[in-house]
Amino acid sequence: MNVLGLFLVSGLSVGALYALGGVGLVLLNRATGVLNFAYGAMGAAGAMTAWQLLEWNWPEPLAWVACVGIALALSLAFGGLIAPGLARREPIVKAIATLGFALALLGTMNLLWVVTPRKLTLTFDGLSVAILGLRVTGTRLLALLVGIGVTLGMGLFLARTRVGLMMRALADNRQVASILGVPVGRVETIAWGISGVLAGFTGLMFATLVRLDPAVLTFLVIPIIATTIIGRLTSIPASFAAGLAIGVLESLLALYKPLAPFRVATPFIVAIIAMMWLQRGRRLTFAGQD
Amino acid sequence: MQAATKHLSGAVEPDAVSSTGFVLGRYVPQLFFTCAAILLPFLVNALWLKVLTAVAIYALTAASIALLYRRLGLVSLAQVALMGCGGWVALRFAHAFGLPFEVNLMAGGIFAGLIGMILAYPALRMRGLYLALITLMAAGGFGILINVIQFPNGGGGLTGFEVRAITYMPRPVIAISDAAYFSYCMVVIAFGFLLIDVHERGRAGRGWALIRKSEASAMAAGVNVTLYKVWGFALSGFLAGVAGALLAGNLQLLDARSFPPAESVMIFALTVVGGAWHWYGAVIAALLYRLVPAFLNDLGLDGNAAYIIFGLALIHALITAPKGLAGQLSDGLKRLARRGPNA
Amino acid sequence: MKRTSLFFAASTAIVVLGGSSAMAAPQCGLNNGQKATGEPIKVGAVVGQTGPDDFSSSADAARAYFNCVNENGGINGRPIEYLVEDDQWNPEVAGQVATKLVKDEGVVALVASGSFVEMAVNAKLYADEDVMAMASACAVAECFESKNIVSTNQGPLPSSVGAAQWAAANLGSKNVVCIGLTIPSVGPYSCGWTEKYMQSKGLSGSSILLDPGAADMNASVLETVASGADTVLVNLPAGMAAAYLKAVEEQNLRDNFKWISSTPLYDTEVPAMLGTYWDGVMNINIELTPIDRTGPDATNWRAVMDKYARPQDPRDTFSQSGYLSARFFTDALLKLDPANIDRKVVSEAIRAIKNETSDLLCGPYYVGNADRHMPNHANMMVQIAGSGFTVISGCADVDSAYLDPVRAAERDLGITN
Repeated sequence: MNVLGLFLVSGLSVGALYALGGVGLVLLNRATGVLNFAYGAMGAAGAMTAWQLLEWNWPEPLAWVACVGIALALSLAFGGLIAPGLARREPIVKAIATLGFALALLGTMNLLWVVTPRKLTLTFDGLSVAILGLRVTGTRLLALLVGIGVTLGMGLFLARTRVGLMMRALADNRQVASILGVPVGRVETIAWGISGVLAGFTGLMFATLVRLDPAVLTFLVIPIIATTIIGRLTSIPASFAAGLAIGVLESLLALYKPLAPFRVATPFIVAIIAMMWLQRGRRLTFAGQD
Repeated sequence: MQAATKHLSGAVEPDAVSSTGFVLGRYVPQLFFTCAAILLPFLVNALWLKVLTAVAIYALTAASIALLYRRLGLVSLAQVALMGCGGWVALRFAHAFGLPFEVNLMAGGIFAGLIGMILAYPALRMRGLYLALITLMAAGGFGILINVIQFPNGGGGLTGFEVRAITYMPRPVIAISDAAYFSYCMVVIAFGFLLIDVHERGRAGRGWALIRKSEASAMAAGVNVTLYKVWGFALSGFLAGVAGALLAGNLQLLDARSFPPAESVMIFALTVVGGAWHWYGAVIAALLYRLVPAFLNDLGLDGNAAYIIFGLALIHALITAPKGLAGQLSDGLKRLARRGPNA
Repeated sequence: MKRTSLFFAASTAIVVLGGSSAMAAPQCGLNNGQKATGEPIKVGAVVGQTGPDDFSSSADAARAYFNCVNENGGINGRPIEYLVEDDQWNPEVAGQVATKLVKDEGVVALVASGSFVEMAVNAKLYADEDVMAMASACAVAECFESKNIVSTNQGPLPSSVGAAQWAAANLGSKNVVCIGLTIPSVGPYSCGWTEKYMQSKGLSGSSILLDPGAADMNASVLETVASGADTVLVNLPAGMAAAYLKAVEEQNLRDNFKWISSTPLYDTEVPAMLGTYWDGVMNINIELTPIDRTGPDATNWRAVMDKYARPQDPRDTFSQSGYLSARFFTDALLKLDPANIDRKVVSEAIRAIKNETSDLLCGPYYVGNADRHMPNHANMMVQIAGSGFTVISGCADVDSAYLDPVRAAERDLGITN
């Protein structure tokens, strides 16, 4: 049995999760300038709802729809009700406001669903294929394929469509874009919507493949942010690739016993090293955004 | 908004209103902490004394965050992790050498200051959200690292940790009881705030103000930008490290699970809510961080319900009080003072 | 530890467990049916309710038992006022609420505490103030190595070693790999002593430790394969264990190993959560006797819960443990002069508890004056069967060098096991 191959495939399947998580974060940050710490909590709320519906023996497709719907509604609610109040503030203040939202969501979830071990099982879990000797379930493949699809699709969307153009304009310079007639509110709402749908799907995947635990899912956003940093918070393909790479590295570290307990820190360490390397030789002279 | 921009531009606002009150006005924080150190142990019971000790300790952490934010416009999301660094070293020293508490306290502070200087390195190349996220990544890495190596519990070896029941870290000889330790923390914090004040009014403060306005003009004026940025981070890290050592002394142990990256973000958020432009903003931040949850818990409110209230209140405060609660409070007081003589 | 959802399934546990005990009337304290009206005796508990897991079921059971005592004559006429505080899994909060109970409220003892963080933080406070803590849901080393803390449950160490011991004797295990948490006073504490047990028998053992926030279970499963073990000891909280076992199922590696687990998987909802894949395969060590037994204490525990607990309070191992702590505490206090009950007298009375027995425990319960306490160190094994569990082995004492000081103390006290 080729051990390296096993860990490689295992790493890719985890990396696919990191990568998928990063896409929605980057998209939202590009279009609205908000780094969403509540991304994980929104997905968790969707996943918990899906679990509840499955417990009540509702059909699985309905649970999927509910999961995505809840995350979408939460994302739109924050984007529509809270984000405008902070539109003129620094990016960091916008980011920490989302942390407040994440805490409120986490508290609500733990009130509704008392903390207890739970497991979410989807139909796709039953299917599997063997890759390099490792069995990979349908859910993992789905996460990877949707991740690739969304990365490509978002690339096309940003490059080819009018709304995509407006989003890019907003990301480059918000004031100039609004003077040029970009309907800021509408474009932002679309971004919150897409990001909410992705948060819901990601939440469902994480809940199935990682653990159905609101706190764990809420705070997984922090390692996912690591992947987006490597994409400089703007590049979806770079975030996606970084997610895969981090997953593989994290998995391979399990082979080296002395470092194995530290391997969960991989996203953070890779992000710091990558960021320092990308910024090498740069000096800040004039006050600017980064 | 106008006032906020003025603050953002780095202008130093005199604390004291009248010229006669200037000298006294400068030491208001120290007076405040000293009064609290003397009076509060007589006024509150054991529970609230413990809570207020935690408030005092986190006020120092919040002050260390506010310093960087106010003076250099830099965001550190790693201050709770820096507290962990300081606490680790203080515990290790205490168990290894049995030195007086003050030595452990300084060792913890200096170590965290050194780590702070390392964090300053990215700050030479980045600012804003990127820098904040780099510090968050450092905090995330620390959270994992400390879960594996753990805080010293009196064991041997480099990590000072053994799988057995804990040996408690001794408190300072003059502050064994909870009440005395509270007063002790208050005094340390008064010195911490004095240290910040001395820096802000001295050479470093002028350097920071220029850097905040424009790094190019700071350089043109002959300010060593690298030096003063590193200095700012070192001071901030030192204060957080001292706070971490005080926390270790408070519980006489530390638990690795108390230092996740989310806590660092939380205390930063509350520092912004408290108000980074006034010394008592840090106190408000610490009250929000430790007193309010303890109060809700004491009322018997479900911890999860408290989370909801807390999260929503955080959002509300960020939207409605751009200068923080301290800013609102001081604006309100000024308005009252202006209206006062006419009424 | 496990609590069915408040809103959606509160009644399941009662329907399942309540049936067998519907006719028994609860017995407690003086059992005279008279409401106690004297000056209340304050008793405290610290539980980890808000956080990664809910550790409050032991205090829920103790509260039910004390309610029953108060309705039945109290402590010779004096009711017990039971104060339960939530430490929110935060060491600072744990220190605060314990200080409140011990110093501000002046409780005479702490009974049926259940927490992951509280005992390490407060062991010193309890010793300094000489207040005894009769805990019920303990997981860290400090619970079992402190002068003023005695726990009715066993914690992960005897449970893990007991499982390995059973596997070595009954499954022919030669090499056990223990899957634990990186938190040292939990994972290395229990997995480390399991390794030592295996080595002491000339067998081999190893550990794989996971970060509590680890997202990736696949790599851990692959590590398990690489360890070369023939038996896997799952020593994780139930939620993480479910994630780990799901990854094992994904790779279909069940038949490559023999499977044992420590107590966290002994929970009424676990068989359904894990699914049929683990039916008849997963062997779980339990710290108290099974929850569906019909001995006098088992029956009485259910009767007390049915009559005096809230409907959503879980009926699990920690609940049994909390009930027992409360019962032993009440029995000790009933021997005292009700007019003269203070902390000093109560601490002495608790230390004097000796040779208490219960069908919920494998061995006798005692406290004594030693520097460390672990009265409960014999356990049983069950196996997942359908939607429940079947008992596969009776009480067996745990064979670990860790228990040497405990056994020495037992000899001094004249406890025979």
